[in-house]
Amino acid sequence: MRVLVVEDDRSIAGFIATGLRQEGFAVDVAEDGVAGLELAQAGAYDAAVVDVMLPRLDGLSLVTALRHAAITTPVLFLSARHSVDDRVKGLQTGGDDYLAKPFAFAELLARLQAITRRGQRAVEATTLTVADLRLDRLTRKVERAGTPIELRPREFALLEYLMRQPGRVMSKAMIVSHVWDYSFDTGTNAVDVLVHRLRDKIDRTFVPRLLHTVRGVGYVLKVE
Amino acid sequence: MSSRWSEGLRTALTLRLGLWYAGLFALSAAVLLSFTYLLLGRALAAQDREVLESMLQRYGVAYQRSGLDGLRALVDADESEGRHERLLVRVTNDKADIIYFAQPPGWSGFDLGALDDVRTSPAGWVELANPIDDSSLEVGTRRLPRGITVQVGRSSRVRDEVLAHFRARALEVGLVVAIIAIAGGAFVSYLALYPVRALEAATHAILETGRFDTRVATRGTRDPLDRLGDRINTLLARLERLVRGMRGALDNVAHDLRTPLTRLRNVAEGALDEQEPAALRDGLGRALEEVDRVNATLTALMDISEAETGTLRLTPEPLFVAAVVDEALALHADDAEDRGIAVASRIDPALRLVADRTRLRQVVANLIENAVKYSDAGGRVDIGAAATPETVTVTIRDTGVGIGPADLPFVWDRLYRGDASRSARGLGLGLSLVKAIVEAHGGRVDVASTPGQGSAFTLTLPARGHGHGPTPPP
Repeated sequence: MRVLVVEDDRSIAGFIATGLRQEGFAVDVAEDGVAGLELAQAGAYDAAVVDVMLPRLDGLSLVTALRHAAITTPVLFLSARHSVDDRVKGLQTGGDDYLAKPFAFAELLARLQAITRRGQRAVEATTLTVADLRLDRLTRKVERAGTPIELRPREFALLEYLMRQPGRVMSKAMIVSHVWDYSFDTGTNAVDVLVHRLRDKIDRTFVPRLLHTVRGVGYVLKVE
Repeated sequence: MSSRWSEGLRTALTLRLGLWYAGLFALSAAVLLSFTYLLLGRALAAQDREVLESMLQRYGVAYQRSGLDGLRALVDADESEGRHERLLVRVTNDKADIIYFAQPPGWSGFDLGALDDVRTSPAGWVELANPIDDSSLEVGTRRLPRGITVQVGRSSRVRDEVLAHFRARALEVGLVVAIIAIAGGAFVSYLALYPVRALEAATHAILETGRFDTRVATRGTRDPLDRLGDRINTLLARLERLVRGMRGALDNVAHDLRTPLTRLRNVAEGALDEQEPAALRDGLGRALEEVDRVNATLTALMDISEAETGTLRLTPEPLFVAAVVDEALALHADDAEDRGIAVASRIDPALRLVADRTRLRQVVANLIENAVKYSDAGGRVDIGAAATPETVTVTIRDTGVGIGPADLPFVWDRLYRGDASRSARGLGLGLSLVKAIVEAHGGRVDVASTPGQGSAFTLTLPARGHGHGPTPPP
């Protein structure tokens, strides 16, 4: 997977590029809109991360030009502005998703994966397994070490979300958006409460612990 | 510089308007006078000819009735009665001898010989020009039996005099008209440009002082210029609110971010001292949490400021109140259950209102969160709703710690924390945001509370929404 990152702030660009390379992506970085457009037109990228505010050519214009040239590379916009207007404008221009700064890398990764997966729906297993924890999506039954565990719908939704990509940290915003279908950060403790309840059911009486808190980032399901 | 420019423009406009008025006024007066002059001349000429015709008729009849003698007698009688004083009367026989001739004194200069030529032609009219004084002599000729010809003429001098008099008067009238036109033009342009001057004065004052509280003076006449003034006043009011909001927002942001930034700094500094990798990681994690909190504070402050200044983009749509409340409830149901607080919503599932879905949900979620947060185990949170034709009210009632009378007026203030909430988690912006969003919807939020017994927050929202743009009360 080749990803183009167009971001004029070197620190942010470096952070994204390093993170993506660690995840196995091939990454090119452009520091202004014109260079970004040239790269995007020349190379075949699987996705592009484009800042809205760029020197020489802004991100929205860049993507407009790309779409005019019939290049359909999925685009994830980054913007420091938080208003919904920007978001709408970005998506109308031909962007595929939008991420507000500051962002968690986990969220950028999740969104990037979502826009590249779009259109080629992966066949997902009906049963998810992490260590001795099993979740059946069809019967909605969960068991650990052979012991059935009763989960409420929200607890089930959270566990399924975490088990889909074990080892990957999910941010609070991602969890809120997935479990409650809220599109904005609510600033509430709802996620902590839900995680606490889920942990109580799947981890309290079992070893090893599977549901971990990554302080300041989010939650992850894995065997340490 | 710009004021001098607008001054010049305004003077030019005033002058142009005045000149147009004066010009049109003078033109119409001139047309009217000319027309009257023309009609007068025509009428006088027609009258003269009428007199001549009636004399000719008279003499013709007299001649036919009693022959030459009768004609002569009538002519003599007329002469003695003074009827010929202003007329030329000439009677000739078939040999072109003049039988009778009368001419007012001073009518010299006409070439009367021409009358002989006319005499032989059939009855008609001839006009003799007087080269001396530009007057003319109009002569009517009537041929009677046996070669007798009667000719009666009248000089144009009398009517020329009348017309000359008229012309002289017209000049005087024209002078008066010109004065009225100029004075009227000045007055009319002054009157018409009053709103423009008011507009200019107001904008000038704003540019000079930089204060947006100046208003354009309007007269309430509802004419387009007056309405323009009203529109500009509305615009100014909106701008003033916006500017005030922006200034306030900047102060607030600076002030409200300092505290979490200080915490962030302290956490990072503390982490630097750590030697253990685990403690270091923990410090970094806490720093990240603080960063998120700073960001959340900034977002909330921006939302409040946008809602207060009317720039928060709302997308009103018809909503089921119960559905929105249930969605908000879902966020805090687990927390409430864990803490042994019963939360119940009793809302008619068919009750609807028009509002921004995300923002309304945010408001309700905020109030539910507070209700749960300040309740103890065994407490209750009840959510109900009622409707009038115009409004929908949603009430969130809890049996929590309540708010003291001293704190009650300040609960809407940013970052205000009463004694009860000082230890609670949160940004201290929730209720300010609730109030700002509800008011941006054209609604209001009220609170009633008894310490130790609980609080009730009531949202009152317009059932059919609030137009397109949010307009908080002035």
